[in-house]
Amino acid sequence: MFPRVSAILALRPLSRFPSCSGGSEAPAAAIVLLGAPHGTVRTKNNAQRYFGTNNVIYSKKDEQSAPTPEISKETESQESVKENRKKDLLGIIKGMKIELSSVNVQTTRPSSRRHLKSVEATIARLQKAPEDVPEKRTKSLSPELVAAASAVADFLPFDKQTTKSELLRQLQQHEEVSNAQKDGERAKISVSNIISDMKVAKSATARVSTRPVHQIQFDEGTDNYMGQETDDLKKSLRKNMLKGKRLNIFDLKAVTEEAPETETAPSLWEVEFAKQLATVNEQSLQNGFAEMIQWTSEGKLWEFPINNEAGFDDDGSEFHEHVFLDKHLKDFPKQGPIRHFMELVTCGLSKNPYLSVKQKIEHIEWFRNYFNEKQDILKESGIQFN
Amino acid sequence: MPCSLRQGMFFEPNILQPIAELFPAPPFGDPEGRGHAFPAWYAKPKMAAVATTLWLRFRCKLCLTLRGQRAGPCGQTPSCRFYSGSATVPKVEGANVTGIEEVVIPKKKTWDKVAVLQALASTVNRDITAAPYAFQDDPYLIPTSSVESRSFLLAKKSGENAAKFIINSHPKYFQKDIAEPHIPCLMPEYFEPQIEDISEAALRERIKLKKVKASVDMFDQLLQAGTTISLETSNSLLDLLCYYGDKEPPADYHFQKSEKSEELEEAAEENDEKSKKADHQFGVTWRAKNNAERIFALMPEKNSHSYCTMIRGMVKHRAPVQALNLYTELLNNRLHADVYTFNALIEATALSVNKKLEDKWNNILELLKQMAAQKVKPNLQTFNTILKCLRRFHVFGRLPALQTFREMKAIGIEPSLATYHYIIQLFYHHENPSKGSSLIIYDIMNELTGQKFSPRDPDDDMFFQSAMRACSFLRDLELAYQVHGLLNTGDNWKFIGPDHRRNFYYSKFFSLLCLMEQIDVTLQWYKDLIPSVFFPHSQTLIDLLQALDVANRLEMIPQIWKDSKEYGHIFRNDLKEEILMLMARDQHPPELQVAFADCAADIKSTYESQDARQIAPEWPANCLNYIAVLFLRAGRMQEAWKMLGLFKKHNKIPGNELLNEFMDSAKASNSPAQAIEIVKLASAFSLPVCEGLTQRVMADFVISQEQKEALGNLTSLTSDSDSGSDSDSNEGK
Repeated sequence: MFPRVSAILALRPLSRFPSCSGGSEAPAAAIVLLGAPHGTVRTKNNAQRYFGTNNVIYSKKDEQSAPTPEISKETESQESVKENRKKDLLGIIKGMKIELSSVNVQTTRPSSRRHLKSVEATIARLQKAPEDVPEKRTKSLSPELVAAASAVADFLPFDKQTTKSELLRQLQQHEEVSNAQKDGERAKISVSNIISDMKVAKSATARVSTRPVHQIQFDEGTDNYMGQETDDLKKSLRKNMLKGKRLNIFDLKAVTEEAPETETAPSLWEVEFAKQLATVNEQSLQNGFAEMIQWTSEGKLWEFPINNEAGFDDDGSEFHEHVFLDKHLKDFPKQGPIRHFMELVTCGLSKNPYLSVKQKIEHIEWFRNYFNEKQDILKESGIQFN
Repeated sequence: MPCSLRQGMFFEPNILQPIAELFPAPPFGDPEGRGHAFPAWYAKPKMAAVATTLWLRFRCKLCLTLRGQRAGPCGQTPSCRFYSGSATVPKVEGANVTGIEEVVIPKKKTWDKVAVLQALASTVNRDITAAPYAFQDDPYLIPTSSVESRSFLLAKKSGENAAKFIINSHPKYFQKDIAEPHIPCLMPEYFEPQIEDISEAALRERIKLKKVKASVDMFDQLLQAGTTISLETSNSLLDLLCYYGDKEPPADYHFQKSEKSEELEEAAEENDEKSKKADHQFGVTWRAKNNAERIFALMPEKNSHSYCTMIRGMVKHRAPVQALNLYTELLNNRLHADVYTFNALIEATALSVNKKLEDKWNNILELLKQMAAQKVKPNLQTFNTILKCLRRFHVFGRLPALQTFREMKAIGIEPSLATYHYIIQLFYHHENPSKGSSLIIYDIMNELTGQKFSPRDPDDDMFFQSAMRACSFLRDLELAYQVHGLLNTGDNWKFIGPDHRRNFYYSKFFSLLCLMEQIDVTLQWYKDLIPSVFFPHSQTLIDLLQALDVANRLEMIPQIWKDSKEYGHIFRNDLKEEILMLMARDQHPPELQVAFADCAADIKSTYESQDARQIAPEWPANCLNYIAVLFLRAGRMQEAWKMLGLFKKHNKIPGNELLNEFMDSAKASNSPAQAIEIVKLASAFSLPVCEGLTQRVMADFVISQEQKEALGNLTSLTSDSDSGSDSDSNEGK
């Protein structure tokens, strides 16, 4: 357990450090100083999982912190900021010397913290600004920066000007990944990527170069800003996915227009497609009721809701038509033996589930006809019918 | 008035709705809701009327409970006829007290036949302590691992299929219709054509029964007889031929194969096993000059349907070039293709080989423009096909995919889960984790959260798997929770797909939990998901062990070992080694050491009692070390010494730390004999640590002269061998 804990400790100051984007090149030196011990931690990459949640936050920063110095360079276009910048840089350089002896990374933090907000603001402006303007500005500025940077460390032997213009271009680029991929080659020589190289031991250059612009904004935030930032991020992404160029081939009107549906029997293709669709959300049964549902739809089970008409399809005739048959006796005499007989017949019929309503009425009709035919016999025996 | 009478006489179906709401658990006593009720008080018996009385009793009880709670939860159901007169009406009529209550007769409601069951089913929750319902059977048969569960389901299904096969192949023995009323699905189906003579009706019947060969024969006979066949019939014949690629439909649908043909097939199988395998893997391929093409050429008149079905058949059976050619022919004949054909053509364009991606994409766009020009409305499948094909373009496909997606949104076609699946695959599938990754999934999840889905594309069930893969790729637990939340919205869980996809989804999800969630929450999920949702892989359990390690909750390990035994991972060496390593790494309080030693003994027994399996696996040296240490720390000296014996037997080398720990324990029990035994062992392996051990024995123990001599011998032995080798090398020089 213990070696793993120490690994976290080593990582913590390091990974937090680059997010203080104020001192653009200054951190490079500091990081290089720590590069050696850190590298050993990193090579044991398999230990990563033991860091739990913390590790993820930090490692995210590792990946994403690199672009921030790039942006910070552009912020120096403001004259007012510039002066502060220089002072800061000098201060950082001074601080560096202390660090050289003490290797205390934390000392540089307060000075750079201040810049965080202004940097964010400028990024927002820069994203909207036309492409050539910042380029000019930075060009005028870059010698100073280079001078300041060269004071920081000798081991940054790259041409600042080209690097910066490339970085700017990259920022302005649309976040097409394919383009970004190409740029990855060029971006490799950027200072910030060297920083990231030094930090992470395993090269993260490609990852940095493919990060979309809006994500830099997201990465600026410290832990406290996380929640707020993700919302912004999601919003900006939303724009990306739903708003943008479309194919512009189909017309909304033409598509939504209702065409006269021609009724044709479904072809084999359609039938089979429907069958395929039905299997998509087929899942094994979850409980006994689900099984009963299946049996019901297969026709193996009595149908719910339970009533005494279930499974008894009689052309949609209702229960009362089956049971209350008195109304069909209107033509029969109101009293007498025939009436008595017919009441018994209807009583029997009303209890018979095997005959349909139609059959029952036919049955009564048959008796009416029968008595009609036997009129003379009835008359002889003095019974009235009609 | 008949209606009022009916009120009194009838059992009201509506009442079941509130009943379902009143009872959180199923009312039949069985917690899984397996109880069966077949109320059958109408004259016709259906299946079993035994449960009727139970049902009636249950109903009476319900009435009582309902009466008490009438004013409560069921107040708003207006159609409860027992009480409508007294309970609901006064409220309405209360204003103008006339003394005469007007009886409000509620409308009769018709219910779906499964509505009641659905309401009841929704009250049953998953039992997290048991295997899924589908696996519940005789306790001996309940599966405990993913392999077993698979074979369980297969066995069940194949049993069903076998029974069906027997019934359908010998219908004459299954004529007795016991069920009343008739249950059609239990009766044999007839797949033999009934019309014997040669006529168009006979042809239609054969087409309907999906008898490919018989239909073609009938068509030829009709043609020879000079009968003209209507366009409709020949089109449906073409449909049949194109859909199945001029082969009989797969047999497992129908079981109409006679024994003879089976024998023939078996004989044939040996001959062209290879070609058949290929056929099965990729489906049937389109052969030039097959019956479909022949009949198509023979048809005196063709409409657009004939062309369309041919094109679709060719694309389905991977003949894209012919399909595209036929499309030009169709255009030359001044006919129009329908949307399905265009979908097929888009697929054909993407399938065609030896073309640049840009060209393919431009061809697809060209097809879409033709659709727009011909006023063919695109549908969901059109766009899904495009996105599906764009997946092959890898990175190049991303921008077109987004444009396609926006297009479909713009013209008001709601994307299905498959649409999002394709986009996720395009953006994440070929991604190298060291590179930057797109964040498009956040956008997708924002869009989807809270939605409920119905199946609209055959690939809809792939979404959750690929979304969870992306979460695991991004290491974003929050997102994973979001995906899981979506899965549990409404009936969305049905889209998780077949077993292997569900296992994949939950394994990824659980690994992510192990990696990033607090251990208590992880354990909660562990309890919740395993085994009632899925059976864990050994890798899943290793992830959990590592999470336990990080959170310093090693006391759980014996429990995890017990579980992994249950889920069939007894023979997973990596899992066993991880468990032993974690237990043996640090010292623990005594009671925990005892538990660990028990667990170690259990693991040891899995290495020893392997007779059931074919070969006894190798004892890894690490495991021997760990187990010995664990026994030692728990004070099970005898067993620990036995373990030392095993080192010799299996020709493995004990670790230095282990020997030192043995020495410590020997010192603790103050037994020089044991100490010397250890030195002996070390020297037997000629370990470099032997020297140090000897010195320790000399320093720490009171030993007799004899023992001293023995020690001296041992050390000289080792040094002898050293010098021997030295001298050897000297001689060599």
